[in-house]
Amino acid sequence: MEFFLQILIAGIVIGSIYSLVALGFTLIYKSTGIVNFAQGELLLVGAYICLHIIVSYNVPFVFAFIITLLFMFFFGFLIEKIFLRKMIGEPIISIIMLTIGLSSLLKSIVQIIWGTDTRTYPEIFPHEPVTIGFLNISVVYIFSIIAIAIFLIIFTIFFKTTKTGVAMRAVASDQQASLSMGIDVRKIFALSWAIAAVVSTVGGILIGNINGINTNLSQFGLKVFPVVILGGLDSILGAIVGGVIIGVLENMVGGYIDPLIGGGAKDVFPFVAMIIILLIKPYGLFGTVKVEKV
Amino acid sequence: MRKIFLVIMMLLGLNLFAAETIKVGALVDLSGGTADVGKPYADGIKDCVKWFNENGGINGRQIELLIVDYGYKIPNALAAYKEFKMKKVVAIHGWGTGDTEALTKFVAEDKMPYVSASYSEHLADGKKKPYNFFVGASYSDQTEAALKFVKDKGGKNVAFIYNNTGFGRSPFFPDGENAAKKLGLNLVDKQVVDLKALDATAQMLNLKKSGAQYAIIQETYMATSTILKDAKKNGLNTRFIGLNWTFDKPLIKIAGAASEGFYGVSPFAFWDEDNNEGIRFLKQLNKKYNPSIQEREVNYVQGFASMYVLLSAIKNVKGKITGEAIKYSLESMKNFNTMGLTPPVTFTKDVHKGVRAAKIYEIKNGKIVPVTGVITLD
Amino acid sequence: MNYINCGNFKTSYEKDAAIYQTTFSKICIYSFLIGLFVLPFFLNSYLLYIMNMIFISVIAAVGLNILTGFTGLISLGHGAFIGVGAFAAGYLISKFSFGFFIIIPLAAIITSMVGVIFGTPSLRLKDLYLSIATLAAQFILEFIFIRAERITGGVNGMPVDAPVFFGYTIDNDFRFYFFSLIYTIIMVTAAKNIIRTKIGRAFVSIRDNYIAAETMGVDLFRYKLLSFAISSFYAGVAGALWAYYVRFITPEHFTINVSIQYLSMIIIGGLGSILGSIFGTIFMVVLPELLRHIIGIFSHYLPVLEQIFPAIREAFYGLVIILFLLFEPEGLARRWNLIKAYWKLWPFSY
Repeated sequence: MEFFLQILIAGIVIGSIYSLVALGFTLIYKSTGIVNFAQGELLLVGAYICLHIIVSYNVPFVFAFIITLLFMFFFGFLIEKIFLRKMIGEPIISIIMLTIGLSSLLKSIVQIIWGTDTRTYPEIFPHEPVTIGFLNISVVYIFSIIAIAIFLIIFTIFFKTTKTGVAMRAVASDQQASLSMGIDVRKIFALSWAIAAVVSTVGGILIGNINGINTNLSQFGLKVFPVVILGGLDSILGAIVGGVIIGVLENMVGGYIDPLIGGGAKDVFPFVAMIIILLIKPYGLFGTVKVEKV
Repeated sequence: MRKIFLVIMMLLGLNLFAAETIKVGALVDLSGGTADVGKPYADGIKDCVKWFNENGGINGRQIELLIVDYGYKIPNALAAYKEFKMKKVVAIHGWGTGDTEALTKFVAEDKMPYVSASYSEHLADGKKKPYNFFVGASYSDQTEAALKFVKDKGGKNVAFIYNNTGFGRSPFFPDGENAAKKLGLNLVDKQVVDLKALDATAQMLNLKKSGAQYAIIQETYMATSTILKDAKKNGLNTRFIGLNWTFDKPLIKIAGAASEGFYGVSPFAFWDEDNNEGIRFLKQLNKKYNPSIQEREVNYVQGFASMYVLLSAIKNVKGKITGEAIKYSLESMKNFNTMGLTPPVTFTKDVHKGVRAAKIYEIKNGKIVPVTGVITLD
Repeated sequence: MNYINCGNFKTSYEKDAAIYQTTFSKICIYSFLIGLFVLPFFLNSYLLYIMNMIFISVIAAVGLNILTGFTGLISLGHGAFIGVGAFAAGYLISKFSFGFFIIIPLAAIITSMVGVIFGTPSLRLKDLYLSIATLAAQFILEFIFIRAERITGGVNGMPVDAPVFFGYTIDNDFRFYFFSLIYTIIMVTAAKNIIRTKIGRAFVSIRDNYIAAETMGVDLFRYKLLSFAISSFYAGVAGALWAYYVRFITPEHFTINVSIQYLSMIIIGGLGSILGSIFGTIFMVVLPELLRHIIGIFSHYLPVLEQIFPAIREAFYGLVIILFLLFEPEGLARRWNLIKAYWKLWPFSY
């Protein structure tokens, strides 16, 4: 029983990070229709920048966190302005390839600047696990779950109540109508990229605190696809729910099936799951079913 | 298209003018999954060549080292091998298990002496792989030493932790499994942790369930750190023993407190063994060549020692330097002294693993201390 | 004798669809091919290696272009399918002693079947979902390559014997050049011909407006599957040739990076253009090698460059893709056509 719960908790933590990344992805897709293959790299860049600030300038974690978020906010703006403005109207394959190219570029720039070794964040959380009942939970995990929950609540409030949040939802739902209502769609585009960058960064920093970071982190960008397929490409709720489900399932496979077949199933499972979902419910749990008009 | 051809031919032509040097090819990993140990190792190789060149080279001829970073990707290694061959290197210093084993057929056909940083037992048979050599204790031998250590400590249940590369599997399947059986130990678990893994929770929880008292790790620093940290986080009582690539200061740095009590097998001298002649020499050399770097990993020592053996063998060749001649020169090395950086190196026609002894160490209070004397492996 | 076309004046459907529009272009292409056959006598081993890589990659790129450029179905799993071809060939070689005559087509057919297996469920999906399904196929196949040790040798890889042609063992770059050149010519010509037929037109109609195509009576599912099968067949041929060439294959040869590389090739070369695939392939094969030489020269002055070269190479790939997409979205084929059009009227300016 303890084993099961440990796996479950680990799954929830990783899953919530998937949720964050998927949230960013879905945001961009919803507002601009662009499939962002570079989501994982945004996570990577954010994590490394935070580490850099902490280590090179000896800034305490909380401040570094906030500075990184601000930086990534503008970084997202920048990417949208430089690369994606020009691609409006181009066929979808070009845009997909552009984000793929972007992901390659970002990953290698990170590699050039910081190398490929694993780097660890200085110890902010004690390594000793905390005992709740009969379970040992790592302090980092607890912190991550709380942090993510807070972020998700903030975002939900943002989208439901603030003017900009509502504007974003409007643009995502119908661009033409929003334009005619006077919403500055370009600004919304830029904003969605900026927020997506921020959200991924939070995920990246949290992961970094668990075991360190290296260039492999961008794998999260690929894992995001099973999550959004499960949750529905254009559903924010779907991203959150899908993330946790995939995280938990993945860890369950890792815990129970991997030992039977000698490992590796954990990484391929989300993709197998994705194919199955595509077969039975291609639009995911919460996605809108596309009706094609001729 | 034609212009590109002309440019390439020009560049190649320019290369041909440096004809008096002896060319040695080197495959290194500076950017791939094993880069954390690959970088210092490459530094060791470079410094050795530099030192040789400053002291007369090989019988008056300078050594030209052609380094290729293949990023631990086998296809890149194969391409680099082709290039080395074309540039007429006399020998190659290779790196990873996967690619070295992939190249054995070609290397034997081309009679190209190949000293690898891979200590896989598959490469030790001089009859089957006549041109492969390595300066180190084979992974299988190290595993056996670790298992014997476990038995001496009264342990009964062991586990293997590895990754899905040739390197990861080499010590355990089948040699490790057979050794455990021979010593009467129970192999209760096998876990796969990727070289660059940042999370090993599921694997550690499974390890805990299996009841293994000792677990042997074949990884590099990064994955080892993840394993140790996650083991600690999940309250495991298992003691871990790492093979040589897991074990040195960088591990202590990234694993922090989780590295306490970690055992390691290593045939190489560590940087703070000041009573070691070779270490004292290297400290001097390093100060001269790289004054800004005070601390060196054991991998630097390994790289230097390995290249030292190869270059010395080439130096001992009388007459024309051919692949075959270098092979015979290596095979005639008996108890070759590497300034104490490794136990004495011996090659024979049938046995191409150069080092047959190692020590077991433990990390105590953030320091590496030996817990056994020199163990001979056979 | 007319060298170039001066206006459209076709007298039959056949003439319209002909590959060689004028006698002049026919002569040009034939002399080019003869030149290719003569070239290897002047090239050293390294350049031969580059040419061989280009030939094998062209086959795979053309295959992908048929699927993506002509039919509009984006595949992110091409690398894995090439792997299927390679491992199939390797396995067949080790188990049976057929000549390469039989092995290569057989491996390609196996790859085609695997393509159909993955394609059948995915082709119900549209656009983006199909791409994501092929992404999954890439990872699942990679997983199978690593785990199916009895067939593929797992992480340790699989050695492959060299092909034998009437007593000649083709085990060096020089001999392999002719071997692969012949296959490349066959496959590329076949591709050009497929495009000219009813099948090719069906493909293009699916890409341009599949709803209209369906109303015109084009059986969408059947043609999409056919496109997938053909493209996988090409990947299989390329894979088998690759196996024969490097003579040692491991799962690492067929990762997602390979799939992305091929996509880059056809985008840079020009989607929907066979010639474009060739251009794109040459570009993507030659550029990194060129880059390596340049960096090699500069690293004498700045040794740190050597260390970060692989990262620079990756960054370069990404940058090149982005630049092409931003500034030349229709690829090199379009540039080529513009250049040709300019020369058509030279020395007149209009």
